[in-house]
This record gives sequence, structure tokens and C-alpha cells, in this order.
Amino acid sequence: MLTFLQQLLNGLTIGSFYAFVALGYSLVYAILKLINFAHGDLFGLGAYIGYTVFVYAFGVVGTVLGLWGLLAAGFVAAALGTAAAGLIIERVAYRPIYPIGRLPAVVSALGMAIFLSNFIMAVWGPRYLAYQEHFIPTGFWQIGEFRIRVLQVLILLSSLVLLGILYLVVEKTTFGAAVRAVALDRETAALMGIDFLKVIRFAFAVGPALGAIAGVFVGMYYRQINFTMGWVYGLKAFTATILGGIGNIPGAMVGGVLLGLLEALTAGYISAAWKDVFVFAALMLMLIFRPTGLLGEKVAEKV
Amino acid sequence: MKWIIGLSVVLALCGWAQPILVGFQGPLTGPWAVEGDWALKSVQIAVEIVNARGGILGRPVQLVVEDDGGTPKGGTLAAQKLIAAGVKFVVGTYGSMVCMPSSELYEEEGVVHINYGCTRVDLSARGFKYYFRTSGRDDSQARFFVEYVIPLFGAKRIAVMHDNTAYALGVAEDVLRFMKPLLDEGKVELVYYDAIMPGERDYTPALTALRDAKPDIWYYTGYYPEWALLLRQGKDLGLDWKKIKAVGSNACPISEAVKIAGLDAVVGAMITQEPLPAFLVEKYPLAKEFVEAYEAKYGPIHDSPWATYAADAIFTLAFAIEATRSLDPAVVAKYLRSGQVIGEGITGPLSFSPEGDRLGVPYMLLICTEEGKSALFDPAVHGHLVGM
Amino acid sequence: MKWLRRWQGLLSQKPLRLAFLGLVISFLVSFPFWASRYWVDVGFYVGLYALLGLGLNIILGEVGLFNLGHAAFWAIGAYTTAILNVRFGIPTLALLPISAVVAAGCAWLVSSPIIHLRGDYLCIVTIALGEIVRLVLINNPGGLTGGPNGVVGIARPVFLGHVIRTPMDFYFLVWAVVILCAIGLRQLQRSRLGRAWNYIREDEIAAEAMGVDVRALKLLAFVVGAALAGLAGNIFAAKMRMVSPDSFTFMESCLMFCIVLLGGMGSIPGTILGAALVVLFPEIFRPVAQYRLLFFGLALAATMYFRPGGLWPRRRTAEILVGQTER
Repeated sequence: MLTFLQQLLNGLTIGSFYAFVALGYSLVYAILKLINFAHGDLFGLGAYIGYTVFVYAFGVVGTVLGLWGLLAAGFVAAALGTAAAGLIIERVAYRPIYPIGRLPAVVSALGMAIFLSNFIMAVWGPRYLAYQEHFIPTGFWQIGEFRIRVLQVLILLSSLVLLGILYLVVEKTTFGAAVRAVALDRETAALMGIDFLKVIRFAFAVGPALGAIAGVFVGMYYRQINFTMGWVYGLKAFTATILGGIGNIPGAMVGGVLLGLLEALTAGYISAAWKDVFVFAALMLMLIFRPTGLLGEKVAEKV
Repeated sequence: MKWIIGLSVVLALCGWAQPILVGFQGPLTGPWAVEGDWALKSVQIAVEIVNARGGILGRPVQLVVEDDGGTPKGGTLAAQKLIAAGVKFVVGTYGSMVCMPSSELYEEEGVVHINYGCTRVDLSARGFKYYFRTSGRDDSQARFFVEYVIPLFGAKRIAVMHDNTAYALGVAEDVLRFMKPLLDEGKVELVYYDAIMPGERDYTPALTALRDAKPDIWYYTGYYPEWALLLRQGKDLGLDWKKIKAVGSNACPISEAVKIAGLDAVVGAMITQEPLPAFLVEKYPLAKEFVEAYEAKYGPIHDSPWATYAADAIFTLAFAIEATRSLDPAVVAKYLRSGQVIGEGITGPLSFSPEGDRLGVPYMLLICTEEGKSALFDPAVHGHLVGM
Repeated sequence: MKWLRRWQGLLSQKPLRLAFLGLVISFLVSFPFWASRYWVDVGFYVGLYALLGLGLNIILGEVGLFNLGHAAFWAIGAYTTAILNVRFGIPTLALLPISAVVAAGCAWLVSSPIIHLRGDYLCIVTIALGEIVRLVLINNPGGLTGGPNGVVGIARPVFLGHVIRTPMDFYFLVWAVVILCAIGLRQLQRSRLGRAWNYIREDEIAAEAMGVDVRALKLLAFVVGAALAGLAGNIFAAKMRMVSPDSFTFMESCLMFCIVLLGGMGSIPGTILGAALVVLFPEIFRPVAQYRLLFFGLALAATMYFRPGGLWPRRRTAEILVGQTER
């Protein structure tokens, strides 16, 4: 039972990472029908920016604002920097291409993914970088043999809060209505006077920013980052996106958490080595019987 | 007439002589770019040392560098590129599966190929004439673990974990092979044997299973990123590294593990290791010279044995060519195969078996001290760290 | 970029096209005799990736099925050759058709239950498939695949008593297969079958309404595409004389996807051109050593920027694609 609870908590934490990253995929997909392969590496970039702020601003910001101030500064810098990178990539590599077709944009996205990970390697070097002890909240609560870390709670809470806010923005505000309209039918939305570039910019700023926050959390949680991490997380998060049903926010959230739990439990109870085989096989089975994902809407076929 | 000869000799000594091309093949891109980077820097330092001493046969050494990206396909392309460039002596590469197809090309073309980071046993069982390695083999390390480390702690319940990569699986299987007599006699018991997935971030499930197996000693064969996470997450899970002796294999440099996992999780953990430059400086003069030159140029010395072996591959070539006074790869290869000690490199005396394996690769057991440094394990000094 | 289009227009005239074809073939045939062995090997990989690209081109280019797991079929072909040769001593060259058949059979088995999925859902399932195949190979079921160590010691292929071993031998082997396949595929493109495939790509529901057996034809595309990947797997295994799972990563599937789109969907010369690009880019950037993949990424994006329809789009397709927003 104890093991099960521990696995559950681990699964939820990993799931939150996936949910954060999956959201970026989902937003861009909903609006452009583009699988943004560069998204995983934007997440990696966020982890590196956060690392840089923590290391170099430790002396200045750390003494003025304390640990929590430093953490906040790191998160804000990572989110802003990565959002900027997302916007640049959208402007340079996607905007000239996606009016022509969404498949060429996929190639461009793959190119950007390769570019970004190698850019990270060129700037920060090929070595693993370590998030050091002194800028990570290390406390924990011990209940019997069950252990909850402060960091885990922080991760779970912020994923709930941030994704909740995003959900409210998209569902309840006028701008959110514009986002949904563009997602539904870009051309008609444009005819209705919706500034669709603004919606696209929103997706390419918010998605990477959330990814960056996940990147910094991953760095803190596992304490190490390297330039290829984005690719692995990107693949997993994309899986989570599809699992939940691509193009909707609660779907990304549910898909991420479910994938995290599935991983933790198969690894714990079946086999660590065969874990990913089970995860992917489960995904295939799910899609065979529910072809649009768990929360995906049944799309009427065009005739 | 005499002055012309004299002048040309002087010119030759001044470096007018044609340089000797030596190829370097390594993973400069891809997931193993770290090792490629270290190996390249080490090889460059070794070449500088050789050239500062007047080169080989009075001719300077010039490196030709090719990236193989850490893939078998990249390996063949890099090898072809080096062969096409007219290189007759090559140092490379990291990773047994990358090495395998490239070494066939070198063999066919009669290029002396000195391998620095491949430990797969059967690489030298192919009857090649031009293949050598300055590193040990998988089974030499496994043997050291079974015959030295297990008796040292009087361990009875053994746990072996690997990460399913070619190298780690090889070591793990060899441990089982060498341990078989002990297992049959009932002197030790294998309580845990499983694989984890590299690149994963969460190993709590595997560690929980490890905890429940209650081993005396836990041997992890694999690479440092995963080992560091295992140590950290094990500590967070409440595993006591004093009760369970945590031993990593030679691809788990302690300094990297400390950086990733934090000192509190790594202190007292041990690794079986080929000799690292930092522990060689007092023993071998060339090691001292190498480490000083490296640190003057690139900062603190890495603690990758493979990069050190890469530098030793350069010295192997230099010694062998000087001794035979020949640039003919066949002559040099024949001499290297003779089994005699051809000189003293960074990692000690250099000699090779007729199959091309390095003879007498020494191993050591290192421990992470309270200061987070690696130290040669000494029960009297470090016993308290592992509860001895 | 107008000149490329004009160039293509010129080639529609038969004498010019024949002259151009002759030029290309004489270049291909003479290449290994004057190029260095390194470039011959690069030429070999262009051929190998062209073969993989042609296979994926049927699935992705002709029928429009998003397949991001094509490396799985490549791996199956390579492992079939490796295991059958090393364990049972069947000659490597004789395994060429067998590898294709096994890869095709596997494709039929695994794609039957998923063929009804659409667009990106099919895409993620093929990604999952590629990963599952790679992970199974790593986990060494029944000691068959050798786990991460792979299978080593594959015999060299022998063709009419001649041992295929040098870069030049392999160059001719792979290009002979590529050209044969290209001719066959060209016939397919012009056949009823090819037209039915394109119909499905353009409008699946209309095709079905017109009596096209969509499901069977989609499956057939997967089977034929996988067979070509199986051929490539055999040649790759013979060339490397070993196979290991790290050759068949998700990245490789992505590169094949890029090859088809760089060349132009459904275009045979385009696919070969795309393969040349994907193999040549990283080689061209060798002088910058550890930064070469950085430039490779930029080059991929730049190609799409300048030629969004591909370098050598199939003419019919090109007209439809331009100005279209959804697809």
C-alpha cells in the first residue's frame, strides 16, 4: 500500500510535467493543426534559462529577495525567454510556411527541434548541468514511511493553478472565445473580424512559457538537465496530448496525468524495462477503440 | 654540399618536415558529445606533448578530426572520410556498436586503429591485425568486482542492476559469469537482477524493489546520469547507503554524480574504475605532464577514463613508430602485437596481446569522501563511510 | 525559385527529358569511378535513404497517411537478415526478398487494426509502433535480437560469385535496387491503383463513395512501403555486418518523413533528391564539427521556407497545393 501511494505521488508529479508540456502542443495544434516538434526543445531551453538565472543571479537576487525571490525570478525569466523564442520561431520558421500546407510546416518544426537542441549544446556545452542544492526547496513532510516533498506539492499546485487559469481564460473571456473560434474554423473566424495572428501569437507565447516552467521544475526535481532532454519529453508529452484528445485543455491535463500514472504503475508492478512498451501499447489500444482520444470530441466527417 | 644537408636537417627539426597525419574519430555531436569533447581535448594535449618533444621521427603530428555522432552509420562515414584523407593511424571511438563497423573499414584498408572507449569483449576476437584498444574489456571489470570487491565487504546478498545498453549489459552478464562458482557453492546469493531504462527520470519503482530485496551490496552497471538519480531517489526513499554498499561501474564518475544528486546522496558510494588521471599523477611522470598541460589549457581535468585512454592511444602510436622507425602500418601493428611493453603512458605500461587487447589494465575501487572528492578506497580511512 | 519550375516545365518535353535522364544515369554510373571512397559511401547512404524515402512516399505521399514510425519496418528488415543469416547461414543476398516479405507481413499485421485512424491519430500510433519495435529489440525477447548488443557477424552478400564488400560494390547494389523500385513505382503511379491511392489522399469519403476499397488500398500502401523498407534493412545490415537498436530511432523516422516532404509529396525524383539533401547536409557541415547538426536543422527549415511544396513537386500535386490552406 505504501509503495502504491508513493508510486501514485510520483506518477502525479511526472504527469504534471507532461501536462505542462502537452498543453503547448495542444494549443498550437488546436489553432494551426500543426504538430510543433520544436516544443519539446523549447521546454529544454526553459530549463537552461532557469539554470543560468539561478547560477548567475544567485549572489545578487538571492541576497536581496531570498530563495523564493530567486526562484520566482528564475521562473519568470525562463517563461519570458522561452516565450520570446517561441514567438521568434513562429515568425521565422512557421508563418511563411503554414498557409501553404501543414505538412511542410512539420518539416520546418523538425528542423527547428534539431536546431534548438544543438543550439543549447553550442551555448551551454554538451555536459549535463546540475541544478544545485542551494536553489532547490528540499524540505519534505514525513507521514509514517510515506514522504511528500515540498517540491512535489509545489509542482502539483502550480500545474493545477496555471492550467486552471488558462482554462478559464480560454473558456470564459472574450479573447478565449476568439481562440476557440479560430480553433474551430480559422477562415470563418477571420471573416468575423477576429485578429487571428493575435491568437497564434498567444498560442506560441503561452505554450512555450508553460513548457519553460515545466523545464525549470524538471531541473529542480531531477537536478540535472542536458541538451537532449527536450526530445524525450516532447515525445512523451505529445503522446499525452493525443491520449487526452488533442486540441483541448482539460484533455492535455488528463492525458498528462494519466500517462504519468501509467508509467509509474507499470514500472512499479510489471517491469521497468518493458514499461514504455506497455505505455505505448496501451495508447494504441485506446486509440483503436476510441480514435479521438479520451476527451476528444467526435468530429463530424466532412462530406 | 655539407651545409645544404645541415640546413635541411635544421629545417626538418624546425618543423618543415611533412606532418604525420593521425585521425581522431569520436562522438562530437549526439547524446555522447560530452565524451567526444573530453577525448578530443585529451588527444589534442597528447599531440602537443608529442610535438613539443620533437614529434615522431622528427616529424610533427597533425590531427585529422571527424565526428561520428555516436551512431554506427556515422562511424562508417567518419572512417571513410579519414581513410580518404590518407590517414594511416586512427584513434577512436567511444561505444562498441559504433566501433564495430568502422574498425572493419580500417582493417580492410590496413589502418592502425587504436580504440579508447569500447569494452565489448568480442571486438578483439575477430582476428583483426590492425585493431588495438588502450582500454580494458567488460569482463576485466566484472572480474575485479567479483574477486576483489565482494570479498572485501564480505557481502552475501548481491544486487546487480544495469541499464540495458550494450556496455552495461555486458558488465552485468560477466559479473554473473564470474560469480557462478560462488553462487553454486552457496557462498553468495543473487537477490536482485534487473534493468532500468536510461533517459528515464523516475527510478523510484526500481529502487522500491531493490529495497525490498535487502541486498548487502548493489552493483550498478551503466552511465552516471542514471546512477546519480538512483542514488538521489534511493536516498529520498530512505535507502541507507551505509547498509547497502552502493557500487557503480566505470562510467559513473563520482564528480558528476555529486553535481547531479547532491553530496549527501553520494557520500560513501563507490565505483569500480580504471585509473583516472588524478590518481595517476604521482605514479607516472607522463600522467603528471599530461594533467598539468590539460589543466593549463582547459581547466580542471575531467575524470573520464576513456578520454585518458584516448590520449594514451596517441602515446602508443608515438612509442611504436619511434621504436620501429617505420610509418608502415603493418610493421607498427606487428610490433604492437608482440606483447612487449612499448613504453610508459599516462595509464602505466603500454602493452598489447596478439588480439590487440591492452594487457594488465589495472582497476581500482574509488569512494566518494565527505568532501565530495573521489579517493582510493582504504578501509582504515573510509570504513566509517560505508559502515565497516 | 521560378527557375526550378521552369526547369521542370522543360523536362516535360520528351527529348529533353530523355537527355536529362541519360545525364543523370551516366553521372550515377560513373560517380564511384572518379569520386573518393568517402563520397562513394555518402552516395551509398543517399541510395539507402532514397529507398526508405520511396517506401514512405507510397504511404505518405501517395495515400496521405501520416507515418512517423517507418524506421520500425527498416529495423524488421535488418533484423530478419541478421538473425536468419547468423543463425541459419542463409546467404545475405538471398535474404533480400525475404526481408522485404517479412517487413511487409509485419506491416500488414500491425496496421490492420489501426488503419481506420485518421490524420494525427494515425501519426501518433505509428510513432508508438516505431518505439515499441525499438524497445522490444532492446529487451531481447527469447534471446533472439541480442538486446542492446544487437546481432553481429552478418556474412557479406555474394552476387554470382562476386563478394560485395567495397563501397563501390554496395553503391551499385543499393542504386540498382533503387532504380528498379523507382521504375516499378512509376508504373504503379500511372496505374489504376496509383490513381485510386491519390483519390483517397484527396478525398477519402468521395473515394469510398465511388466504390474504392479504401481500407484494402491503405493496407496495401503500408505493405508495399514496408517491403521497400525491408529491402533497405537487408542492404543496411549487409553493409554494417551488424545491427543494433540504436540505428532505428524515432529521429530516423522523422528524417524519412522530411525526405518525402523535402522532395515533394508523391514525387519519385523528388524523394531521391530529398534523400540526397538529408544525407548531404550533415556531411557538408562537417568542417564545423560539433555544430553541424545546428546547421542541418536550419537547412531543413530553410528548404521548406523557399520550397514549401518540395524541391521537385509532382506537377499535378503542385497546382493543387498552392494557395490551399487546409491539408
